[in-house]
Amino acid sequence: MMSSLRAEFRKLLSVRSTYIVTILVTVLVAFIAFYGEGWHLSPAELRMPNQLSGDVFGALNLAIFGAIIGILLMTHEYRYNTITYTLTDSNSRSRVLRSKIIVVSTYAIFLTVLIGVLSPVAAYLGVHAHGHVLAHQTLQVSNLAWRSLFFGWSSGMLGLVLATLIRSQVGAISALFIIPIGIEPLLTLLLNTKAVYLPFTAQAEVIGNGMRGAGTPLSAGKAAIVFSIYLVIGWIVAWILFLRRDAN
Amino acid sequence: MEGMIKVEHLSKKYRKKLAVDDLSFKVETGKVTGFLGPNGAGKSTTMRLMLGLDRGHGTTTFDSKPLKDYTQPSSVVGILLEAKAFHPTRSARNHLKILAAAGGIPTSRVDEVLDVVGLAEVAKKGPGKFSLGMAQRLGIAAALLGKPKYLLLDEPANGLDPEGIAWLRDFLKKYADDGNAVFVSSHLLSEMSQMVDNVVVIGKGKLIANTSMSKLISGSGHSSIFVRTTNQSKLEKVLREKSLNFEAEGSGLKVTGTDTDAVGKLAFSSGLTVLELTNQAASLEEAFLELTAGSAEYAAHQEVVS
Repeated sequence: MMSSLRAEFRKLLSVRSTYIVTILVTVLVAFIAFYGEGWHLSPAELRMPNQLSGDVFGALNLAIFGAIIGILLMTHEYRYNTITYTLTDSNSRSRVLRSKIIVVSTYAIFLTVLIGVLSPVAAYLGVHAHGHVLAHQTLQVSNLAWRSLFFGWSSGMLGLVLATLIRSQVGAISALFIIPIGIEPLLTLLLNTKAVYLPFTAQAEVIGNGMRGAGTPLSAGKAAIVFSIYLVIGWIVAWILFLRRDAN
Repeated sequence: MEGMIKVEHLSKKYRKKLAVDDLSFKVETGKVTGFLGPNGAGKSTTMRLMLGLDRGHGTTTFDSKPLKDYTQPSSVVGILLEAKAFHPTRSARNHLKILAAAGGIPTSRVDEVLDVVGLAEVAKKGPGKFSLGMAQRLGIAAALLGKPKYLLLDEPANGLDPEGIAWLRDFLKKYADDGNAVFVSSHLLSEMSQMVDNVVVIGKGKLIANTSMSKLISGSGHSSIFVRTTNQSKLEKVLREKSLNFEAEGSGLKVTGTDTDAVGKLAFSSGLTVLELTNQAASLEEAFLELTAGSAEYAAHQEVVS
């Protein structure tokens, strides 16, 4: 397992895309939090005691980039045919998948922590740079932490599971964007209040960003359970296919 | 059975098409075994089935064990299935470091193999801009990482320059001489004829021949004996009596279906003075084309110009 894990970490850390994504997220979070959130806060928002928590949840939308990394880690194997080496070097396909899950989870959590730390700091600096004063903030650390970490980690897993199922880089990235932007809103029109059980809607609801008009929002805990069920089902299918399909 | 790759009843079907059809053969250690077949014959699919990359039927064992039973498969078999199987911007060294890590191979081995294949100077470069020949060398380096007993190479000479081909030929022969087995497919038949000891020939997924190179060539209808004696008409009579096929060629006769020893003895026992007796071996290309006639999946046809 350690050999496979070491190889997967090397894969992650030896391509430019990992660094480009990380830098891009850092710059975007810093800019949006500093300028969009901190600098431009209205007097009413400045008085809100949970403003910075809201900033964190808003910035966490960028955790989608953790999903992109998950997609790249898997689809590069097929795009560049390195899957032949990966599967020959390991005597277990399941071990390969487990290693990828651990690596993507690690990166997704790292990215979430980065966003979670950077966004309130940048927003706070933005407020002060503009000469304003933010009201005393009350942070529910454990609540903020589990919801953020779940959202970030599950985004990474979502990317990886889509990539394992689809295997095409373009296909997986398209699915990642088309389902929440195109398909779920259409399904919401059909499902009405039941739309809260749609996967992306449920995942977004974990950090309170669920689609409006999808019925009474689920609590963060229930939303996490709903999305986890989708992930588990997705992984069962993806895992079976990964074991059975030809490696090309 | 020790010391060989044993392939038994490999089969693979793509929808209705049988790509590999009940294929069985052996690849022995100490020898280079060529894997020949027309385009679309199923060579690459066979190699992938042998490695468990494609799902099909049948078994492949390496020293009596399937590859998945080895804790470090890359120390058992080194592969080159596609020249450009690498991330284009990840450096050649990092590419090999990943494979080394996956195979539990010391990182120091990476620089060794880069040196062996002559890529040490470009180790830090992304292989995306490598020529096909350089990409092949990187693939060969990857195959050698684990110092495996078995090498499975699919068209390793493609894109190599003449110096590279000569190097590869000598290297693979030496590798086999050291007690390893090399299983190599190629369309460069002249190169194969200089490199391989045994051949496995397939057509439309089926085994056509699994024999030594010398037997393949001597068994070809294009192989013949040229004999010239002081009395050609008497020789013709003797050959006719022995039911041997022959035809006139220049100042002598071309005899098929026998060997030089038999013709020499026959001439001697008939009191003929032999002036010339030579073995006219078929080329591998002739033998290959003869064997695979009708097995080509994508045969070209001569355009008729009116």
